[in-house]
Amino acid sequence: MKTAAANKKIRSRRTLSKNDRFTLAAFIGIPTLMQIIFLWLPALITIVLSFTYWNGINVGDIKWAGIANYKNIFFGTPVFYEALKNNAIWLLWFTFIATPLGILLAYQIDRKIKGHKLYETVFYIPVVLSLAIIGIIWNFMFQPGGFIQGIMGRDIGNAISIWGNYDINTYVIMGVASWRHIGYIMLLYLAGLKSVDSSLREASAIDGATEWQTFRKIVLPAMRPVNIIIVVITIIESLRAFDLVYIIYGTSTAWPLLNILVFQNFAGQGISMKGAAYAVILLVLCVGPILLYLRAVFKEDLK
Amino acid sequence: MSDTEKGISRRSVLKGAAVGGIGLAAGGSLLAGCAKSKVTGDINFTIRGNLSDAGSKIAIAVNDAYTAKSGNKVISQAVNSDDFQNNFVQIMQGTPDDAFGWMAGWRTNARADAGLLADLSDQVAALGSSLSAAAVQGATNPADGKQYIIPTTYYPWGLHYRKSTMTELGLNPESIATWDDLIKLCEATQKKGLVGYALGDKGGWEAMGTFDILNMRLNGYQFHIDLLNGKEQWTDPKVVEVFNYMGQLIPFMNKNVLDISWDGMRDLLLQKKCGAMMMGSWFANDFLAKSQEDYDDLWIVPFPEINPEHGVDSIDAPLDGIAVAANGKNVEGGKELAEFWGSKEGIDAAVAAGDTNIYISSEFDSSSYDAFNNQKLAVLGAAKNIGFFLDRDTRGDFAGPVVGPAIQSFLKNPKDLTKILDNTQAQWDALPAL
Repeated sequence: MKTAAANKKIRSRRTLSKNDRFTLAAFIGIPTLMQIIFLWLPALITIVLSFTYWNGINVGDIKWAGIANYKNIFFGTPVFYEALKNNAIWLLWFTFIATPLGILLAYQIDRKIKGHKLYETVFYIPVVLSLAIIGIIWNFMFQPGGFIQGIMGRDIGNAISIWGNYDINTYVIMGVASWRHIGYIMLLYLAGLKSVDSSLREASAIDGATEWQTFRKIVLPAMRPVNIIIVVITIIESLRAFDLVYIIYGTSTAWPLLNILVFQNFAGQGISMKGAAYAVILLVLCVGPILLYLRAVFKEDLK
Repeated sequence: MSDTEKGISRRSVLKGAAVGGIGLAAGGSLLAGCAKSKVTGDINFTIRGNLSDAGSKIAIAVNDAYTAKSGNKVISQAVNSDDFQNNFVQIMQGTPDDAFGWMAGWRTNARADAGLLADLSDQVAALGSSLSAAAVQGATNPADGKQYIIPTTYYPWGLHYRKSTMTELGLNPESIATWDDLIKLCEATQKKGLVGYALGDKGGWEAMGTFDILNMRLNGYQFHIDLLNGKEQWTDPKVVEVFNYMGQLIPFMNKNVLDISWDGMRDLLLQKKCGAMMMGSWFANDFLAKSQEDYDDLWIVPFPEINPEHGVDSIDAPLDGIAVAANGKNVEGGKELAEFWGSKEGIDAAVAAGDTNIYISSEFDSSSYDAFNNQKLAVLGAAKNIGFFLDRDTRGDFAGPVVGPAIQSFLKNPKDLTKILDNTQAQWDALPAL
C-alpha cells in the first residue's frame, strides 16, 4: 500500500498537465503578486517616506530628512511616550489579566460546570461586535448625558468624569476592551480544549495528578498550536488597538495610542512624514516580538 | 438697529480700502462678465454634512437656483465633513467634485500652494465691492496674493449666555464688559449651584477659542498671529499670562471638561446649567430647533476687555466659502457656480431656503434679521481685527497634533505650564519648513 501510494504521488506529480501547472501558477502567483503590490510595496514605501518631508501631494516635493522625523518623535514629542505607555498597559493587561481569564473560563466551561452553555453564550456575545461598535456602546453608557450617568441622576453639568478622569479612564478602557477579548480567547481556547484527547486527562487523574498539575503538564503542552495563536493575537491586538479609543476620543490624543498618532499625523494635515515614522515604529514593535517568539517555538520543535 | 448700522458702517469703511486693491480688476472683469461665453456641462458639488441637515437643504436650493439661471445641471453629493477634511489632499488629487463648501485660512492657502485649488481671483474681482476688504483680505493667499475661495459667510466666537439667567442673578446682560464682570458672573452662577464658565475640550479644539480670545485680549491680534506663525515664542511671559488667565477660570468650569465636546457645552447652556461660555455662534440653530423661547433667551457679547490697550478690538470669526478643485472635470463651471454662491441671487436663494448665517456680501439684506443675528453683527462690528480660529490661523500639523494636546494638558494639570510651553515651542522648532 505504502509503495503504491508513493508511486501514485510521483506519477501524479509527473502527469501535471500544462493546464494544471497554469492553474497552480495562477492560484499561487496572483495572491503573491497582490500581496506584494498591496502590502509589501506600500510598506516599503512607508519605510522610505518615514525618512523624508513630504506633504503627500507632488512627488517632486519629497525632501530627504534623514532621521529627523524619528529624532522629533523620540526627543520632541512627549505624547509618543504616553502612547507607548498606553500600548504597554494594554499589552500587560491583556497578557496578565484578560487572556488568563479567558483561558480560565474556557477551562471551566470545558469541564461542563453547571450552566456552562449559558456562560458560553454570555461571554461569547461581545465577540461578534467589532471594537468600534463596542466603543459606541460604552461611550453611550459612560459619557455625560449617557445611560449610566442618567440612571444615577447625573446631568451633563455634574456628570461623573470618566473618559476625562485620568485616575480611572485607563482602567475603564481596559475593562471595556477586555469585555470582548476575554470572550475571544475563551472561544479559541475552548476549540483547542475540545481537540485534546480526554484519555490523556483521565490517565493523569489515575496517576494522582492534581487539577493544576494536569493543566500545566498535560493540557497546556498538548495545546501548543493554540497557545502560539493566543500569544500572537494578544500582542497584535494590543499593538493595533485603535478603533475603540478613536470612537471615544477622536483624533484629539486625549488618550493616545501609537495607531492614533499614525492616523493623526497622516490624515491630511501633516507636512513631515511623522505619521510614516510612527507606522514604522509600530511595524518594528509588532514584527519584533512575534518573530522572536515564533523562532523560539520552532527551535524547540526542531530539537 | 443701531447694531446693524455699526456692522455695516465698518464694512463700508473697509470697503473703501478695498476699492484701491481690486477696483481696477473688478471693473475689467465685470465688463468681461457681460460678454463671457456661457459655461456648459454638469457641475459636481460636494456638501459637507448629511443630506438631512438644514445646511444641505440650503446648499441644494442655491445650486438649483444656479441651474435655473444658467441651465447647467449641478449634481450635489453630501459627504461626512470630518472625512472630507481629513482626506482632502487625497480627494483633491483624485477626481474631485468641481466645487465645495470650504474654509478660508491655512486650509485653503496651503492647498492652493500645492496646486490643488483653482484660482478664483477673477470671480472675487467680479463680485467687486460687494465683498468687504476684510473678507477679501481674509480669503487672500499671502504667498501669491490671489484668492482661492469665494468668501460667503462667517460667524463670531463670543461669550454666549442666557439673558434670563443674568436677570435672575441680578446682573445686567449688557454689562459683561470687563474681566471683573466675568468673574462676578461666574461666582454668582456658581453660588446658585450652576457651572460658572462652561467648557468642553474632549475634541481638543474647543478650548482653543478661549485661548485665542485671551491671547488677543491680553497681547493683541498681531502678537497672537505672530505666535501662531512662529514669530513669537510660546515660552514668552506674555503667553504664560494667557494661561494664568485661563487658570483663573478653571475653578468655575464644569468638572468634566475633558469628557464633553462642543455639543456638551451647548447642552449645558440649553438646559440652563451654566452661566456663560465661549463658543462660535453656529449652534444657535439648535436653540431655535428646541423652542423660539430658548432662542430668544440666547445672547452673545464680545469677550470682555482685559487689557485696555487692546480693548475688544479682535475676534475669532472663521470665514467660510466656496472653493473650486483644480483637478475637477469642469473647472470653469465650478468657478461660475462659486461666483453664483457669492452673488445676490445666490444669497437670496440661500436666505429663502432658511439660512440664518451672516453673509459677508453687502448685497445681503439684513433687514429681516432677528435680535440675535443683529447682535452677532454688532459683536463682529466691535472688532477691528479678525482671526479665523487657531486651527485655521496656523499650520495643520501644529494646531491639532501640538496645541490641542497642550491645552488639554494644561486643563488637566495647570501646574505643568512651564513644561507644557517649553515643549510646545520645541515642537514648533522641530517642524520642517513648509
